[in-house]
Amino acid sequence: MAAATVRAQFRVETSSRSLGYNLPQRLGRALWLPMLLMALMLFGAGMALGIVRASEIADGSAADTIATLQHVQAGLMFLGFASVFSAISFAIARILGQLRAGGGEVQEAAGRTVQTLRMPGTAKLFLVLMMMAMATLVVASILHFVFAADIDPTPASLADAEDRFVVLEGVRRLGIAVYLFAILLGLATIIRVLRFQAVRLRELPREEPVR
Amino acid sequence: MTVLAELVRRPPPDADPTRTLRIRNVAIAVGLAGLAAVAAALVVNVLVATGDAGADNLLWTFGASVAGFATLKLAIALVLTGIVVRLWMRVDAVKAALPELKADAGPREAVSDGDIDTPFGRATLTEKAPGLLPPQAMARIMWKPMLLMGPMLVAAGLVLSLVNTGADDPDTRQALSAWTQGTQFLGEAMLLAAISFLLGTILAGLREGGGEVQESLGLAVKTLRMPASAKAFLALMAMGLMLGVAQLVLYGIAAYVDDPATWFAWLGPLRELSLGILLSGIVLALFTIGTVLGFQHWRIRQIIETGR
Repeated sequence: MAAATVRAQFRVETSSRSLGYNLPQRLGRALWLPMLLMALMLFGAGMALGIVRASEIADGSAADTIATLQHVQAGLMFLGFASVFSAISFAIARILGQLRAGGGEVQEAAGRTVQTLRMPGTAKLFLVLMMMAMATLVVASILHFVFAADIDPTPASLADAEDRFVVLEGVRRLGIAVYLFAILLGLATIIRVLRFQAVRLRELPREEPVR
Repeated sequence: MTVLAELVRRPPPDADPTRTLRIRNVAIAVGLAGLAAVAAALVVNVLVATGDAGADNLLWTFGASVAGFATLKLAIALVLTGIVVRLWMRVDAVKAALPELKADAGPREAVSDGDIDTPFGRATLTEKAPGLLPPQAMARIMWKPMLLMGPMLVAAGLVLSLVNTGADDPDTRQALSAWTQGTQFLGEAMLLAAISFLLGTILAGLREGGGEVQESLGLAVKTLRMPASAKAFLALMAMGLMLGVAQLVLYGIAAYVDDPATWFAWLGPLRELSLGILLSGIVLALFTIGTVLGFQHWRIRQIIETGR
């Protein structure tokens, strides 16, 4: 049973055993690899479609085919970016999990009270922003596919397709920027956890063993 | 200057671990600036699409967005330098605490060098701490020039995009557009390479620090062998960086060809692929760091429980 405690500079939970991984960390351990593999496949598909589109342009194909391919290619490539940034976020969560579970196990092995840092504000923001960024990129990619299916060989439709591409391009970029900022916060959380570990390790020899 | 000094020096062994690193807050502020640049570019893109601004503006919003990404990556690199510093403080804390926590194992037995199995993969058993692996030694050197060159290239591309916004001649536009994209994406690739090298520097610190702690206690030194994920990370990083250079060369050609639309149609995905591959390498580097940390906690527990 863990109890919340406020100690100098850190909010911690105290327990007699290591608390192990929390839910986001368990998800991170399970999902980083599927996300990475999906990203690699989507990057390959996006590149292949880029080559197909270039060849259509060189052959002087219909403008609506070229515009359709532009939307689909961008959708695939940015689903790839959504996946690879998810994989990075999950890998960071996995590192935080190793620090949480491993740090607790070390204190437990030393026979001392186990203190585990409560989830810092940067970690909570990391999770929220990561989900927002993923949603932004996935929705933008889906809209690319929807707009691609809506293109007719008329000047008005082609102009609409171009305008929609311009807006979605900006939205995708914002999604990536938010993802990068979320990753920044995830890494900043690692700094805080390492700081806590260094402080806690130096405290252990001065404490009486509880077992 | 004090903040910059935090980046490059190992803190003294008696450094106060409760002290907060200013670099962390600086990095978050830099990251917010990058986010703001990309958000501003989105607003202009919407204005262009609704007809409230000229299509010319898309040239500079491209430059500004990529510059925003570069700013965010620079911020990530700054945070990673903070992690390097904090890891050394952790090494010093373990060195200070372990002699009093470890079980008394009696007189030390002779160590015969060799390989052992651990829950985290194969490890080596040695008398003395092994040195750094060549890629780790290289990473410690290379992150600095990459971090310097990346933003310079992105800034150069931003200037080109601003010049292009006011250009009238179609040939000039084609050339400036091609060089903007090529230059900025090589800059982005270099920034991701700097991040990769910093992750390599973290792995170097974990290897060196782990060996240092065990050797200081007079114990046999157990060091994890280079995991397959680390090897794949190196391969992806090299491939991504080479593609980043290749796309600049190819954009240099596309700047003067007769059918730029065909070239731009496949060079766009190519430059994104180079960044995607570098990012995939970063995933594997982070996975490796997690594995090494798990190994270190396992080894610390082993020393506490068995004294060996």
